[in-house]
Amino acid sequence: MNTALSNLCLAATTSGDFAPIGALTLYHFLFVSAAMFAVGVIGFVSRRNLIIMFLCTEMMFQAAGIALIAFSRYHLNHTGEVFVIFVLTIAAAEAALALALVVWTFRRKATLDAAAWSEMAG
Amino acid sequence: MEFVANPILLYVCVALGGFGVAMTLPRPKLSPQVIGALLAAVGLGGAFLALGLKAGAERPGFYFYVFAAIALGSAVRVISHPRPVYAALYFILTILASSALYLMLGAEFMAFALIIIYAGAILITYLFVIMLAEQTPEGAEVGVASEYDRYSREPGVATVVGFVLLALLTGMMARGMKTIEPASPRGEGIGLLARMPKKVIEAYDRLGVLEPRGGFARPEVSGVASRLSTSAGTMSLTVADVEKVRKNLDDPRVAALFGEEMAAGVRATVQSGQTLTLRLPGDLRAENLDGVGFALIAEHPMALELAGVILLMAMLGAVVLARKQIEMSEAEKAAAARPSH
Repeated sequence: MNTALSNLCLAATTSGDFAPIGALTLYHFLFVSAAMFAVGVIGFVSRRNLIIMFLCTEMMFQAAGIALIAFSRYHLNHTGEVFVIFVLTIAAAEAALALALVVWTFRRKATLDAAAWSEMAG
Repeated sequence: MEFVANPILLYVCVALGGFGVAMTLPRPKLSPQVIGALLAAVGLGGAFLALGLKAGAERPGFYFYVFAAIALGSAVRVISHPRPVYAALYFILTILASSALYLMLGAEFMAFALIIIYAGAILITYLFVIMLAEQTPEGAEVGVASEYDRYSREPGVATVVGFVLLALLTGMMARGMKTIEPASPRGEGIGLLARMPKKVIEAYDRLGVLEPRGGFARPEVSGVASRLSTSAGTMSLTVADVEKVRKNLDDPRVAALFGEEMAAGVRATVQSGQTLTLRLPGDLRAENLDGVGFALIAEHPMALELAGVILLMAMLGAVVLARKQIEMSEAEKAAAARPSH
């Protein structure tokens, strides 16, 4: 394995008597977070239903939340957890506004297809 | 130098997962969703195994793999299910699994707040709106998903974008990450306890170390923060605070607060004004909730107020947006304004 690749690798600390959490690294949780974020991006780009698209943004928020909590635990302070509270707040505000907009657009066009609004692209 | 995962293996697994996800997305004709789901599972599962091989040799984080698999599996199902109601239900499953991950990271408060706020409130709002907007059109066959739900837009391109992002992120993240340290036996730490004098006093009070003040009055020890030694995990108390100690020394939990020789000293004679150094009670710990509370209220009060303002504004905006506009002529307005007798 060449050095450039090994720089990308994660050096495992040879740990002795760690609690079960010790076997897991920050990387494990960040991978879950990144994978969930990627799935959210894919869904947002590819799905055509407006509600599913907003659901995918919520999924990206959720992925960010996992990363924040993992970093909060890694640094042993609570700022990350407080951040997640604010992420929840923004998610709730976004859900309220987005769903009101969805209801409004559904009344206008009687469809949830995002392509129905493609004339807005100019 | 030891490595948790071979990066080439990791990238191959990520690519396989991406191919599988692309196949699970709804598309016209020939929809091999099962094969795609299997491929995605093999790919993402392989990535996890690559991560887990090293960890498994020491001690498997079994529950982590279970809940991560549930979270990612249902996340893929959210974007691949043709019916929005099921997609929202699968998203609730994602929330539940990720709150299990929060628990694993010791964030108990956020785990339950997530379930209550996200799964309980936000997703239910989504379900309501889906049910409002997803009515089957007149004359359409019942039970058939609408056209825009059955076909996705450019699944291949979207998946390439998403998984290139994932590959970049995994590559970036893998620089010098370390094991997560185990939590301290005092929970969130003694430094936090110094900010919560009542909790310390109550812990001593439960053991009967402090002199009761009679009635419901709690014993008071002033200046707990200055008396608490955060490095040694001890607290100094003057004898006026510990009149009752001698009676309780037979209790092994109380005796454990003193060293051997100090316990003997207390038994023999305690002079007025003498200062005793006690260990903190064994069950005294600052919980996750204490830490989050201090971080939220003491360190970010302004952000908390702003969050409240944002929620209020969002509520007003939602009410204004979702209100039905009713066109009324002048005569109708006049009729509506006239008091009816």
